[in-house]
Amino acid sequence: MGLKGRGTIPAPFSKMRNRIGRFFYRHPGVEGFLFALPYMALWAVFLAWPVVYGIYISLFDWDPLRGSKFVGLANYLELFREPRFWNAVVNTFKFAGMTIPLILGLGFVFALMVWGWGRKRRGIVVVQASLFFPYLLNVSIVAIVWKWLLERDVGLFQHYLNSIFPSAPVFLTEPAWALPAIAVATAWWLAGYRMLVFQAGLEEIPVELFESAEIDGARPYHKLVHLILPLIKPSLLFALVLTTISAFRTFGQVLIMTEGGPGWASEVLALYLYRVGFDYFDIGKAAASGVVLLFLILVITLLGVRILGLKSELQ
Amino acid sequence: MKWIKRYGPYLVLYGVAFLWIIPILWMADTAFKPTRDIFSIPPKWIPSHFTTEHVERLFAEWPFARWLLNSLIVASFVTLGSLVVSVPAAFSFSRLHWKGRDAVFMFLLVFMLLPWQVNIIPLFFMMTKFKFLNTYQGVALPMIAMPIGVFLLRQFFINIPRDLEDAARIDGCSSLGVLLRVILPLSKPVLAAFSVYIFNYAWNEFFWSMICLRKPQMVTLPVGLKILQGAFEIDYGLILAGAFMASLPSLMVFLLLRRQIIRGFTLAGSGVKG
Repeated sequence: MGLKGRGTIPAPFSKMRNRIGRFFYRHPGVEGFLFALPYMALWAVFLAWPVVYGIYISLFDWDPLRGSKFVGLANYLELFREPRFWNAVVNTFKFAGMTIPLILGLGFVFALMVWGWGRKRRGIVVVQASLFFPYLLNVSIVAIVWKWLLERDVGLFQHYLNSIFPSAPVFLTEPAWALPAIAVATAWWLAGYRMLVFQAGLEEIPVELFESAEIDGARPYHKLVHLILPLIKPSLLFALVLTTISAFRTFGQVLIMTEGGPGWASEVLALYLYRVGFDYFDIGKAAASGVVLLFLILVITLLGVRILGLKSELQ
Repeated sequence: MKWIKRYGPYLVLYGVAFLWIIPILWMADTAFKPTRDIFSIPPKWIPSHFTTEHVERLFAEWPFARWLLNSLIVASFVTLGSLVVSVPAAFSFSRLHWKGRDAVFMFLLVFMLLPWQVNIIPLFFMMTKFKFLNTYQGVALPMIAMPIGVFLLRQFFINIPRDLEDAARIDGCSSLGVLLRVILPLSKPVLAAFSVYIFNYAWNEFFWSMICLRKPQMVTLPVGLKILQGAFEIDYGLILAGAFMASLPSLMVFLLLRRQIIRGFTLAGSGVKG
């Protein structure tokens, strides 16, 4: 039917095909939109709409069984008056302040090590694989293993620490130490992935640059500060933004390792949201804290993108 | 001096790598030693005898095999679903022209940076309405809607030379033809990287899975482990046997496909830069 070499297509279909083809040829915009449509529909229903719906719920005294009552901003006001909420906000920032430098720092040092020493050495793959592997474990495994390592008296780390330093605290039961311990576990889990990303950045630096720097008599320290850091700055900054976002939504490690305890000492915002919503069934307030958390992350991200000049990175 | 220069780096590298995997070794050690040894002070590195009692109990008393299956179904569903919707969308955002395309894409970008798990309260009520709680599609759909895949693929598609597409179009290819015959064959490494990334993400997702899946029969591995841990706070033999068995699939796949997986994550993590 006018389509030589395509004899396998039955006549009616080929006719339809032609008609559709002609339509799209005349309206290329429609076609482009149609390609994006399946994804956009999913996105609208399961990502964009929940944000709107969450804001809506946060304005109600939400009770799907007995009927909800519109309360305006009362949920937010209640939230802001509650010390436990502010405690969770402060803990979230503290946790971010501890994990982000740990993850990025360890990741960077590992990348330097594996890249700098690994080039002419066999067996480097084993090292790289060992450092990366924890990233492939799920959060429950990581939290369970670290809780066990830090168990009073019988935990491996806790035991040796206490035998070397008898005054060392039992981390997970000490209000001041629970959050740092979770931060260390988190760094163990995630640093390997940053290592990979930084390593890719390092490998992109042309070898000639190092050679000419060496001819000019540069010490290793100079190479790091004047050559490596400026050149992989983009990937460092991008990793900073991603790590920050992931730090702010931390949930599983805290739930399993301490359940937010002792007391509320390690309760972070995502855990607070979960407790309020699914343990105390104060849905409106939980939705409000979700909106606050979302807003916090949005502001931090946009600030980060603005201050660090990442806009070009994202496009 | 010469000796240190030659072997010092090896010593540091292997030393750090060994320290780094101690938690994993200790997990395996605990999972296979008798309860008496688990709680011995000081910690006993070499068990008095090797035992599989914890693992046997895990499979006898808990639907652990079912959890494994659930994880596999959810992760495959998410990976396939993502590929099916993200590839044409990324193609459209990178190579087709329509009104408002770039504005829409910028909007998506903002959402990429927002963690969707923060929306669990509204999502929970939506899924209740759809009767999607405790179903595979309920956990999977929000993950399929993540923009990261579209973003990653678009980055790659954009850099494919225009000439290739033009040549195909002159030969009579439709847009679908360009996608299937030109773009996709050139994108195999990126598609592999994307699949590795998404599969791992779905396999390990915890927060939303815990909210959406409430029947012990339906939960995925991370949530199952949480149930296990919550049920027996101090039965460390059983809990660590669970953790070990749950990490075994990742370990085996990693040992088999190490190179591909590392390349995949490198691409997914730094490919965002283009």
